[in-house]
Amino acid sequence: MRVVRTVACALLVALLARGREAGAQDQPDRTLPAQLSAATRATLERIIDSARVAGLPIDPLYSKVREGVFRSADEPRVIAAVQRLGRDLGDARSALGDSARAEEIAAGANALRAGLKPADLSRLREARKRGTDHPLTVALVVLADLATRGVPPALAAASVNELVSRNVPDGSLMSFRQNVERDLLGGRSPASALDARTRSMIDEVERRRP
Amino acid sequence: MSEPDNPRWLDDVGDELRREIPVRAAWRAQLLDQVASARRPSLDDEISDFPPEPLHRAPGRRIVLSPLAGIAAALTFAAVGAGAAFLVLSSRSAGGDRNIAGASASPSTTTGTAVVSSSASAERETVRFELAAPTASHVALVGSFNEWNPVATPLQRDPSTGTWIVSLRLPPGRHVYAFVVDGDVTADPAAPRAADDDFGSANSVVLVSGRTS
Repeated sequence: MRVVRTVACALLVALLARGREAGAQDQPDRTLPAQLSAATRATLERIIDSARVAGLPIDPLYSKVREGVFRSADEPRVIAAVQRLGRDLGDARSALGDSARAEEIAAGANALRAGLKPADLSRLREARKRGTDHPLTVALVVLADLATRGVPPALAAASVNELVSRNVPDGSLMSFRQNVERDLLGGRSPASALDARTRSMIDEVERRRP
Repeated sequence: MSEPDNPRWLDDVGDELRREIPVRAAWRAQLLDQVASARRPSLDDEISDFPPEPLHRAPGRRIVLSPLAGIAAALTFAAVGAGAAFLVLSSRSAGGDRNIAGASASPSTTTGTAVVSSSASAERETVRFELAAPTASHVALVGSFNEWNPVATPLQRDPSTGTWIVSLRLPPGRHVYAFVVDGDVTADPAAPRAADDDFGSANSVVLVSGRTS
C-alpha cells in the first residue's frame, strides 16, 4: 500500500505541475511587475483600465509592460509604449468594427504601427467576402510584416486586399509573405516583388478553383 | 531435452546438470548411512494424512479493507492509469509537429522558424521554435506566452546540426516573441515581424489557430 500511495502522490504532483504550466499559458498574468515604481504602476493601471472599459483587449498591454521591463527600458518609455499601443488598439477596433476579435484588433494595431492607415484596415474588412466570418488576423499580420520590410504600405494594402477579396486561404497568404520576403532578400524591388507574387497567387487560386 | 526445437546451448546445460559431481568415497558412504537410518513414514501415517490438508488452510496474509478504503484504492489505481495515459499521450502529441494553414510555417532552409502543429487538444497547439545558431552557448525564448521571462523557456541544442529547439503548447491567438541569443535579443528570421519595436528591436509573430486540421 505504501508503494501505491507513493506512486499516486508522485503522479498527482506531476499532474498538478503540468496543470499549473498549462494554466499559466492559457491565462496571461494580469499583474504589473513589482520592479516598477508605485507611481508608474498607478499610471499604467489607469491606461489599462481605460482600455478595459472601452472593451479593448488588455493582454497586449500587459505584455507590452513586461516586454519593457525585460528589455530594461526606463519607466517613461514603458508608459509611452503602452499609451501608444492603447491608442492603436482603439483605432484598429474602430476600423475593423465592433465584432472584431481580440487577436484581429491586436494584429490591426500592429499594422497601423507599421504604417498602414485605418482606412486600409476598413477596406480589408470590406474586401472579405460578404457573409464570411473568417478572421482577418493572418491578413493583418502579413500586411504589417510587408510594411516592416520596406514595402510601401499602400502597395501592400492593395495586394493583400486583392488576395482577401478572392478568398485566398490563410496558408497561401503566409506563403505569399514568404515569397515576397525571399524576393526582397534577393534584391528585387518591393513593387516588382509584390506585383509578381500577387499575380502568381491569384493564378494559383484560380487554377485550384473547381 | 534434446527436442528439435531446443537450442544447442540448452542441451549443453542439461548435460552439465546431469553429470555426477565427484565426492570423496568416505563422505558418500556416511551420507547414505544417514539416509538409510532416517525414519520412513509408515502406511498408517500416509492414511492418517489422507485427504491432504486443503490448500486454503495454509497460513497466509489476509488484507481487510473498509469500504471507504476500497473506494480510495480503486480511485488511486484509476488515477494512476489515467495519469500515465495522459502523460504518454501528451508527450506523443508534442512530438508530432506538422505545418498547418495560418501558422508561420517556414521552409527548413531558413535559419529560424516557429512551426505550429495540431495536437491532441483542439484548444492548444504545439509550436516548435527553432533557431540555427551553431556558435551560441545559450538560447532562450521570450514572449507574450511566458511573460517575457528570459529564464522560463531555454532552447535545447541539437549537437548534430547546431540548431536550438523548443516545443511549447500555446493557446489560440497571436503571440509576439523573440529569441535571446547569449544575452542579445533577436527576432526570428523566418517568421513574420511585429512592427512594435518600442524598445529597440523588432519582435516576431506566431499565430495559433486553435483548430485541428
